Amino acid sequence: MNKKIIAGLAAGLALAAALPAHAQEKTVRIGALYPLSGALASTGAEIKAAIELAVDIINNPHPELKGIPLAAESGLPRLGGARFKVVFGDTQGKPEVGLADAQRMLDQEKVVALTGAYQSAVTKTASRVAEQRGVPFLNGESSSPDLTERGYKWFFRTTPNDETFVENMMQFLDTIKAVPTARIAVVYENTDFGVNTYKAVEKFAKQYKRQIVANIAYGAGSASVTAEVQKLAAAKPDVAIFASYTSDAMLFVRTMRETQYAPPVLLANDAGFIDSRFVQEVGPQVQGVLTRDVWAGDVAAAKAGLKKINEMYKAKTGKELNGNNARSMQGMLVLADAINRAGSTDPEAIRKALAATDLNDDQIAMPWAGVKFDDKGQNTKGAGLILELRGSSYQTVWPEKYRADKSLPTVPFAWK
Amino acid sequence: MIEALTAGLFNGLIYAAVAVGLALIWGITDVINFAHGEFLMLGMYAAYWLYTLGRIDPTLSAPLVAVALAFFGFMVYALVIRRLQRGPAMAIILATFGLGLVLRQLAFIFFSPDYRSLPDTLLSGSVSLAGMSLGRPQVVTGLVALAVVAALFVLVYRTRWGHALQAVAEDRQVAALVGIPPDRVNAQVWMLGSAAVGLAGALLTTFFYVFPSVGTVFGLLAFVAVCMGGFGSLPGACIAGIAIGLIEAMTGYLAAPALKTVSVYILFILVLWYRPRGLFGRW
Amino acid sequence: MTPASSLSGPAWRPPWPLAAAAAAAALLALVPAVVSDAFTLQVLLLAIMFGALGACWNLVGGFLGRISFGHGVFVGVGGYATLLLLHHLKLTPLLGIPLGGLLCAAVAWLVGGPTLRLSGHYFAMATIALLQIGLLLMINWEWAGGAVGLEAPLGDRPWMLLFRTKVPYYWIAVGLAFVTYCVTYLLVHSRTGFYWRAINGDEEAACSLGVPAERYKRLAFVLSAALTGVWGGFFAMYVGFIDPESMFSLTMSVQIVLVAILGGVGTLVGPWLGAAVLLPLSEGTRVLWGSSGLGLDLLVFGLAILLVTLFLPGGLVTLWRRRGPAGR
Repeated sequence: MNKKIIAGLAAGLALAAALPAHAQEKTVRIGALYPLSGALASTGAEIKAAIELAVDIINNPHPELKGIPLAAESGLPRLGGARFKVVFGDTQGKPEVGLADAQRMLDQEKVVALTGAYQSAVTKTASRVAEQRGVPFLNGESSSPDLTERGYKWFFRTTPNDETFVENMMQFLDTIKAVPTARIAVVYENTDFGVNTYKAVEKFAKQYKRQIVANIAYGAGSASVTAEVQKLAAAKPDVAIFASYTSDAMLFVRTMRETQYAPPVLLANDAGFIDSRFVQEVGPQVQGVLTRDVWAGDVAAAKAGLKKINEMYKAKTGKELNGNNARSMQGMLVLADAINRAGSTDPEAIRKALAATDLNDDQIAMPWAGVKFDDKGQNTKGAGLILELRGSSYQTVWPEKYRADKSLPTVPFAWK
Repeated sequence: MIEALTAGLFNGLIYAAVAVGLALIWGITDVINFAHGEFLMLGMYAAYWLYTLGRIDPTLSAPLVAVALAFFGFMVYALVIRRLQRGPAMAIILATFGLGLVLRQLAFIFFSPDYRSLPDTLLSGSVSLAGMSLGRPQVVTGLVALAVVAALFVLVYRTRWGHALQAVAEDRQVAALVGIPPDRVNAQVWMLGSAAVGLAGALLTTFFYVFPSVGTVFGLLAFVAVCMGGFGSLPGACIAGIAIGLIEAMTGYLAAPALKTVSVYILFILVLWYRPRGLFGRW
Repeated sequence: MTPASSLSGPAWRPPWPLAAAAAAAALLALVPAVVSDAFTLQVLLLAIMFGALGACWNLVGGFLGRISFGHGVFVGVGGYATLLLLHHLKLTPLLGIPLGGLLCAAVAWLVGGPTLRLSGHYFAMATIALLQIGLLLMINWEWAGGAVGLEAPLGDRPWMLLFRTKVPYYWIAVGLAFVTYCVTYLLVHSRTGFYWRAINGDEEAACSLGVPAERYKRLAFVLSAALTGVWGGFFAMYVGFIDPESMFSLTMSVQIVLVAILGGVGTLVGPWLGAAVLLPLSEGTRVLWGSSGLGLDLLVFGLAILLVTLFLPGGLVTLWRRRGPAGR
């Protein structure tokens, strides 16, 4: 990194000599690793757009987003107005490609920090590289708890993990009085995401005096889920918790509807259920489905800054922000703010700045209490929301302070 | 239990529907078409666009899609397969693999990676069978699959033209000697097989989501079904498909759904152990 | 090299290819002195690894003539064995990797009997089934990490094959590759190789001439599996994280076959050539066009495969040998 500063100074001197009135233009480069092809490509594309939005907020003056660090000015003020640039790499959804690209970003693209990778397995290998090379890695959206259990110094995660989310679900279920919620069935895909969801439910069910009556793991991307749905129906749960991506979510909805089975409470752990495509394609049939999320259109509308950001995103992509991509955007903003506070692109300086991050709720673009990392690199001030699908969008039903429509939630769940 | 088995039966028929086209092509022209899943995907997209843009229900557009895929199959045969038939067998494997990849990526680029599904079509809704609720699309697709297999069976085993196909499958050169043009027969088989998978794809859109990689979801099971049934046997592929559906359902019901696919593969290995040519394989 | 009588084996030839391989290995080992870019090293390492995997596959697929699409199962078994031994017994991979290879040999021995009775297409499908069984069993096996996978610890402990940089892994790969090449060379030019080619040509005729076909088929399968398992263990240590999807990968298995076919099946040099072309091509297209999100990289990759098969069906090796028996 010293070389880079010297090079930057040399370039700056050269520029200063050539164009006397021109300020030094430097770019701070960040590597972003996401699945831009393969089964999760649609989510990867949305995340890419959200991160590009964050870069726009940082680089261009947006006085209307006051409160959010770096929004009002152009570029990074403490680095001489340096522009922020994100270089994207396609992980193809595979851990070893994530590893390769992390190395490529560091060696060839000369990035000063890394972010990514949505899938926990890919995040593991990519952050290993960062840890070995002493480069900060900021994860905005992977929810597997074990990512922050590795004792890494350079890994920081802004999103809450599955343990927080499942605890939020339990707290929400405590507020439902209209139907019993003691018997839980968990239907989850047999991957890192699903298994971690199940483990978290197992942990918190005991604490919150509920029991798991069915543990239904399934292979992602199956041709049919009738066996799973039949098993679920046979268990007669009060609450069915789903951990599925878009394709399986759509298949489950279809299959349950055709076999005319409706769990009294249908609660999803975001992922596929909040995908804009899911809402568009099967939304009308699955009105009243509940999901955990981290972002909601109505909460965003309540805060002027968030509303504007959502509009900017919509103008860019034609879709609304959702929990998948809003978090990535937030992660990028936190990283930029840390680099700015560090005042340099030296990795250790950035790391110290990240560890010292302390943003409160009107300085961030998410409905959280703020961003502050504990000694494992986990943000402790994040939380989830519980939403219900009404019409063509999700509305908040929990926590109480964000619930606008007091008639929600609608339980028991039934097919339309 | 009965519910599980019935659902499994219809699932199995759907696998058979996808497999039968592959069985025909593989059995008669001896080409492993690695792009078979992508043919299915193209059929699904064709039906999807015909519905979304032309308001034609998949049940009605299925024959159209079959014809379109038949032409496509012919093109693939003429441009790619025919050139490689004289070369090493491996080259065709590589070529169809490359073709599948290209098709999948083109779909990715032109149709976007978004998952799409059709809203209510003519076939939507449930069917009540002896107190059980089954999806109507699955039942109809399963029955159509049976009909297609039956029709193909009659075609291949009971007609003169079918005998010509079998002759070419057994020995190309001798068939040529007796006046059967192997090249033309191969082209016809590719067209027929592609039509079958196109039909299956169109019907699949009534209850399954469409996206560029959908071929991989059904493709592998189709390969297993064809192999387990035995090469050269159309009824074999159908029966194997049904067996797969039933095994999945039983494992899901008795043990855990997480193990349903592994039991299919274990069954497959066991079948090959006792019958090295599949259930009804001729060669 | 054992000179054999002309009745029971091939005539002795001076081992020029071995010398050439040694020279190539030496050159490759010097690369990190000039190139410090970890990504380029990774591409080279992957090319070397896939070349070796293709060469191991070739023992069954090329020389014996049985196409296996599930060779990835041995990569998985080797990789998991190594990391599980490291994780639970703190056993160094220097022992763990060879043990993984032995485990693969055992698995191949067990499965080989019934599987090798199958003819061409059935054998291919059976190997895929084995791969899928391995994958699905590992996903559901909690003790071995299940779907979440296993991570190797970080650190700088050479005896545990844990390094902070990737360069030592590169050197290990070069060394292993040289050993792999030598093993394949010696096998192919020995009586065993002779028998294999006989079985490939016409199994019944070979049997009638006294070739113990069953035993040699199994031997090919076991050796191929053992070597593949060793590379699996190495790969697991290199990436540092394994999960069922990445270790029991159908895509990787197909890529191993591709590499061999592209270069020239049944030749010693073919798989290395194929990997030398395929890996940089696939990584290069991904880097150039992957980030667009349009999947252009895979499109170009697929087109490249199609074009090469259409115009060079015998593999890249045919560019050098225009005459002579096919594939030798």
